Amino acid sequence: MEYVNPLTGLRIDGRRPTEMRHLKGQIGVVSKADGSALFEMGNTRVIAAVYGPRQVQNKAQQMNNNEALVRCEYSMANFSTGDRARKPKGDRRSTEISLVIRQTMEACILTKLMPRSQIDIFVQVLQADGGTRSACINAATLALADAGIPMRDIVTSCSAGYLCTTPLLDLNYAEDSAGGPDVTVGILAKMDKVTLLQMDAKLPLDTFETVMQLAIEGCKAIAQYIREIILQNTKQLECRRGS
Amino acid sequence: METTQATEGGGGGATGIAAQMEVEAFRRLFPLPFYKRHLLESVRPDARALDSARDTTISLGPVASADGSALVKIGETTMLAAIKLEVMTPSTERPDEGSIVVEFYMPPICSPMVRPGRPAEVAPVISKQLLDVIRSSGMVNLKELCLISGKASWIAYLDVYCLNADGSLFDAALLSAVAAFTHLQIPLVSVTEEGRVFTVSSEQEEKTKFELVNKDKRKLSLSSIPFPLTSVIHEDHILVDPTAEEETVMETSITLVLDALENLVSVYKPGGVGLASTEIMKECITRTKRRMQELKTILEESVSVMEVD
Repeated sequence: MEYVNPLTGLRIDGRRPTEMRHLKGQIGVVSKADGSALFEMGNTRVIAAVYGPRQVQNKAQQMNNNEALVRCEYSMANFSTGDRARKPKGDRRSTEISLVIRQTMEACILTKLMPRSQIDIFVQVLQADGGTRSACINAATLALADAGIPMRDIVTSCSAGYLCTTPLLDLNYAEDSAGGPDVTVGILAKMDKVTLLQMDAKLPLDTFETVMQLAIEGCKAIAQYIREIILQNTKQLECRRGS
Repeated sequence: METTQATEGGGGGATGIAAQMEVEAFRRLFPLPFYKRHLLESVRPDARALDSARDTTISLGPVASADGSALVKIGETTMLAAIKLEVMTPSTERPDEGSIVVEFYMPPICSPMVRPGRPAEVAPVISKQLLDVIRSSGMVNLKELCLISGKASWIAYLDVYCLNADGSLFDAALLSAVAAFTHLQIPLVSVTEEGRVFTVSSEQEEKTKFELVNKDKRKLSLSSIPFPLTSVIHEDHILVDPTAEEETVMETSITLVLDALENLVSVYKPGGVGLASTEIMKECITRTKRRMQELKTILEESVSVMEVD
């Protein structure tokens, strides 16, 4: 199948190879949560809610008294994919993604400032069209910022692939299931450090570098967008406070 | 007495942020006296009258991948319902009827009370209530879900997700289920020679060689749509459409469901400290009638907005 049209150079959804999908982020969608955000990348729609810092609920899980415990749960709505999913959480993929998101966010939260407490990050996928992992991490970053939890930097994530000898940015579901390689990168934006890097399928080394660079560019663009949203939100809060 | 002292402290001197904190502390430490003082003035902390419900909005079709979906907000309570249709073989006792499966989820994002490993207690209760009301109201005629008698029919999986839990969960859930059924668009279906039924997307409609089984039957005709109203009772006061805080403080809730012809579909008062006399029940029914008219208008508006698009 032609994932990149040889005549026009466009992909199946009309994007150019280095073009990301339409981004949309919104803070404060769940009023009961300490921090929450809705993040959309094209048709992938994800809600993240953060509860914390609050009291540790399961003392057995608390390894280190000097740091906050970060927990994460990823679940997909039954209707989020084309076929109705039978087991939305507790299956291997969800457990793996929960672990990945937790460890990615742990890298940037200043856990030493909140000892003996727990920070819960819950992510719910409402619509899945490829790149759910990245959308979840971006939503979690926004939600943590909304909750006012101290972080080292903004973490953003984006995926990139390589089909029809072209590096492609931000794969959707059709491109992801094409069987080509899928590189997901998560970076700390300002510090320019990579915290998450996952790849499956085979790639020659120099192609891998190109694809990874493309993904990092995507992450930086998302970081720019996220920064704008947080700035807008802070301005609104300032207005409401009347200062 | 402690209560009086706290009252005086809260009412008294300090201005600005200190007074705000004292009110918040009073609200947390003595919730019942806090509400009692409001009830004396026939008002609630969010400035609503005792018999007015929160702003309700319905938005149809937020989930593009589902056959029917709706997002409902009552105040801050948010519910997302989606319906997916799959083909199945009907049972032998009812060969010309489809079926509906309802599941209600409260994922941990919706409330600080819900944690992984400790699911919300009310979730299965609301799930069962939803199923019972949808079945007993007869809103969906199961015969409309039949494709080929005895061989193929639709099973509608209705999934309702609570995205924000702030009281009146059943109301919002039922409303979102009703709205999702209103939005439901049955996919085109055709049959191969071996008798296998498969769905046909709208682009393939002209190109398919096989006979399209249900070309004219794309939407369900819903009759007697149920509309709910939950209220809490506290000593002769009835508070309509409670928030999560009001539900926790007052403890006794009544849910009434009426259909568009003002027939009583369901009454649900699961025990509780407050006792409901006949007058209170009659008063609740009156309030539910009024709410039913409001909800009917809101649902009709949202349908016409969708049709304009």
